[in-house]
Amino acid sequence: MVAFCDAEAGAGRSRRAAKHLAKCDTCRDRLQRIRGEKDALSAGAPIAVMDSRRDLAEVLSAIAGWRGLSGAASELRRRLQRQIETYCGAPALLVVQQPGVRAEELLGKTGEILEVFLGPAAAEALSDDVLRGLDWAVPAAEISR
Amino acid sequence: MTRKVNLDGIESAPRWIVMFLGAYSIVHLFVLYLWNAAGQAFSIQGTSDGTSALSVTGMAAVGLWLCLVALRSFPKGAKLRSAWVLMTIAAAAQTAWGVLAQLPGTGLTGQIRMATLIAGGPMRLAVLAAAMLAVLRILRKFGFQSRPSATDWAVSGIAGLFTLCRFGEAAMASLAGKSPGVDNWISLSGLPILCVLLFEAMLLRQSVLRMGNGLIARCWIALVWGILLTGAGELALWVIPHDLQSLPLAMFGTLFRLPIAAAFALVPAYQVAAQRRATHPAGGQPEDLPAGVPALAR
Repeated sequence: MVAFCDAEAGAGRSRRAAKHLAKCDTCRDRLQRIRGEKDALSAGAPIAVMDSRRDLAEVLSAIAGWRGLSGAASELRRRLQRQIETYCGAPALLVVQQPGVRAEELLGKTGEILEVFLGPAAAEALSDDVLRGLDWAVPAAEISR
Repeated sequence: MTRKVNLDGIESAPRWIVMFLGAYSIVHLFVLYLWNAAGQAFSIQGTSDGTSALSVTGMAAVGLWLCLVALRSFPKGAKLRSAWVLMTIAAAAQTAWGVLAQLPGTGLTGQIRMATLIAGGPMRLAVLAAAMLAVLRILRKFGFQSRPSATDWAVSGIAGLFTLCRFGEAAMASLAGKSPGVDNWISLSGLPILCVLLFEAMLLRQSVLRMGNGLIARCWIALVWGILLTGAGELALWVIPHDLQSLPLAMFGTLFRLPIAAAFALVPAYQVAAQRRATHPAGGQPEDLPAGVPALAR
């Protein structure tokens, strides 16, 4: 719809969209709304007044939180890698740690492997060990996965 | 960083097994050397065919006990429980064979002895094959599977050829009017299963190569060695009487059987050691484990 509105949908798709818009009220309304928003933005509609100091504090807090989480994630990843190396072996890292895998996914997969091969009690002890002293809050669903 | 060598507790079972095997093999080879140096002047006593030496039976019993300890860690529903149940049954069959094969071969005791020979031979191999299949499935699930290499096919081919030779020999003997004997038939019936087991062992070896040299990988590589040594032992005990008739077969039998029993005992020993390491970590320092592929697996 946005592409049609910006005349970027191409001849064929634009023709089909125009044919559909001629008989569909809902889509016509949606198109009107998009056009209205576009016009408002182009005309430089007044932006809501912001409390810049409060917003800056919120942004800084979010960055700090992200940094802390990122540090915990890399520490968690490092600990998990050490566990995989100890219990499976270094080549197993290539299998378990796929590119782009998130720390919580690595935690789940490592936990699953260790539970299968060592039993639940040993896997639980290792999970406790890997999360000890780490400020890491993972959804329960992620851990049990 | 290296970990202080600790020989206390059940987690040091692999070290004790390897140390015992090393000491026993050294003594065994020394006796053989003396016997040869003395011009084979004195006779060497060994276990008769179909029976097991005390050392082998003892090692099998240790393996059974460790299997039971490892099995306790896998409650109902655990994915590897079926594999460990089968491994425990195989260890029990081997121990029972070691004990009951000493019975005289007549009457009721003869029947019991025959049953244990079957249980400790082909049945045990079949149970191990089923256990290994379960392990292979789980390894495949986690992405540790890989295709067999030329070496794997070669080992399986040699095993197949050996089986054909043994069956051919037995058929020729039967045609010539010489019965190969019940013990020999039991041994023959286990050979096709051994072929399957060797192929599975090769697949397991490839999977473990993808895993590395961790504590879990060591457990399964010990199983691969146990099966490879079983195949090699069968082959050697068939070849030696043909070509080297002067050698004391009974001693060679024990020399082969003890490392086999030790390799099978190492499977639960490494498993228990890994579990203990997880539940009772000794200090915060990691063990100095070689990061690469195990040399034995290579």
